[in-house]
Amino acid sequence: MGKCKPFLEILSSSLHGDYKFPILEFLAFLFLLSSFVFTSFGFSSSEVPEEYFVYRMTSSLMGLPLFIFAMLLFKNISSGIGNDLEKGTMQTILAYPLKRRSILTAKLISAFVAATLLFLGMQFSALYILAPDMVAPHLQVVLLTYVAYMSLPLLVASITLLLTLILRKGTLAVVIGLMLFFLFSTLSSLVSLAAYAMDSLLPLQLCSLLVPNIVMDSYYSSLQPMANIFWRPSFSEALLYSGTGYCFTAVILLLSYLYFSRRLNA
Amino acid sequence: MSIVVAEGLSKSYGRILAVDELCLEVDEGSVVGLIGPNGAGKTTTIKMILGLMKPNKGHVKVFGQNPWDNPKVHSQIGVIYEKPLFPPSEKVLDYLERVCRIFDVCESRAMEVLKLVGLEEAWARTIKGLSAGMLQKFAIAHAIIHEPKFVIADEMTSNLDPKARSSLLDLVLRLNKNQKVTFLLSSHILPELSRVCNSAVIINKGRVCASGNLIELYGKFMVRTIRVSTDKPTELAEAVRKLPYMEDVSVGPQGICVRIADQGSETVYEDISRLAREIKAKILGIETGSASLEELYTTLVESGE
Repeated sequence: MGKCKPFLEILSSSLHGDYKFPILEFLAFLFLLSSFVFTSFGFSSSEVPEEYFVYRMTSSLMGLPLFIFAMLLFKNISSGIGNDLEKGTMQTILAYPLKRRSILTAKLISAFVAATLLFLGMQFSALYILAPDMVAPHLQVVLLTYVAYMSLPLLVASITLLLTLILRKGTLAVVIGLMLFFLFSTLSSLVSLAAYAMDSLLPLQLCSLLVPNIVMDSYYSSLQPMANIFWRPSFSEALLYSGTGYCFTAVILLLSYLYFSRRLNA
Repeated sequence: MSIVVAEGLSKSYGRILAVDELCLEVDEGSVVGLIGPNGAGKTTTIKMILGLMKPNKGHVKVFGQNPWDNPKVHSQIGVIYEKPLFPPSEKVLDYLERVCRIFDVCESRAMEVLKLVGLEEAWARTIKGLSAGMLQKFAIAHAIIHEPKFVIADEMTSNLDPKARSSLLDLVLRLNKNQKVTFLLSSHILPELSRVCNSAVIINKGRVCASGNLIELYGKFMVRTIRVSTDKPTELAEAVRKLPYMEDVSVGPQGICVRIADQGSETVYEDISRLAREIKAKILGIETGSASLEELYTTLVESGE
């Protein structure tokens, strides 16, 4: 407990700072409430496979909340880490009897893990309220949909984190994060168009490495017997592409850890 | 035993060399003043000692260990930064209690240190609600809350009123005397430093100009001031001015005032007596002026420039 105590204190301090005014979370919740109404009128489950239906329902509930989730990640990096570096509060924290990697872990648990749990908690509650009979038997589909869709915000957030550590500008973190998020999102649409135009899978496959919801979308769409799908990836391919995005995220987080522990001058 | 040993420390920011081959030792139980003009490299040196900044060259050891990412070293150090840096929205007592838990000391210590620095009435305020002076006191309370063996303070009295400054310096002396706490104090307010410090490190342009015991430093580097009362002040001043080690000679209503460089200190009385005899002047009295840290600092920094 001796070594855990300072870590838990830094974690609780970070949580206190990051979630003091949960405006974004409240907005996401409001959106989910409105989605219930919208989604319940928008789907018909009679002509499509159940897996595809669950996938569509899960992904359609993620529109704005996913964007808010991304915003929450960038805000947490900005206020919890960027501002601490910019204003100098990090000097005080770094002088505490705690390893630098523990300090960053506490900050990241608050910024990433707590935000992810909040997002998933709200999404799962919404799904269960909306269609409990559909969700329970297809939990794997729901989870894979989240894995694919959350990959991009987490990847962009990890890039934002690394840039924030190097640039030491909290305010810049949100701007950079948003720009990258929109850049990747736009890129995925453009690449899809390019793939159709060139009649080549390569652009789609490359883009799926960073934005794996493309491959997941193709996979579940291909489950429809009559669907005219450009790319029909296998299940293992869909998993592989989704995993690659998380590998990129892990590598960037590792680089952030190394930079924070070995190079960062406060 | 030395608490801090820094050897050949160098740190540059781009092309600007902030600290250049700096060597420094802080002995256990001492109160050391780190003195230098703005931009001399004091804060960079302090950050390297704290392990917040990696030197480009050289190494620093605190309690015999590298301070970089070293919780053992950090648990024994208290820090007061020039601009106190705390989460603004946290409450004074809540934050200090959190710090108690981080350092694994009893939470009642939080109120204890608030009383010690005279901030007990502000316990319920948020940190952003404190005035500049109160924030400085809070920073001091924060630095000593875990009863560190070594306190590093960067301009710790900068925002305090004279009374608070005085009581803080008393606190430094008390902690040093009773609990053998070692202090490294960086400040521009030299009379205050001379009140509490027993040794000093004077740095300029990232290099150490001089370091050691204050009394030894005065003896070694100080331009000394001597007042000579005589019946022929103008003539004696004229004669004394020709001595090679004279810095300045002025004539006043009560005699002449001479400032000498260190190399003349051993023969100055003899030389003045001889010159007085030569011009047949009577010496009515000789008074030696005492050196101040400020004069020492000015002498060393100006000579360095």
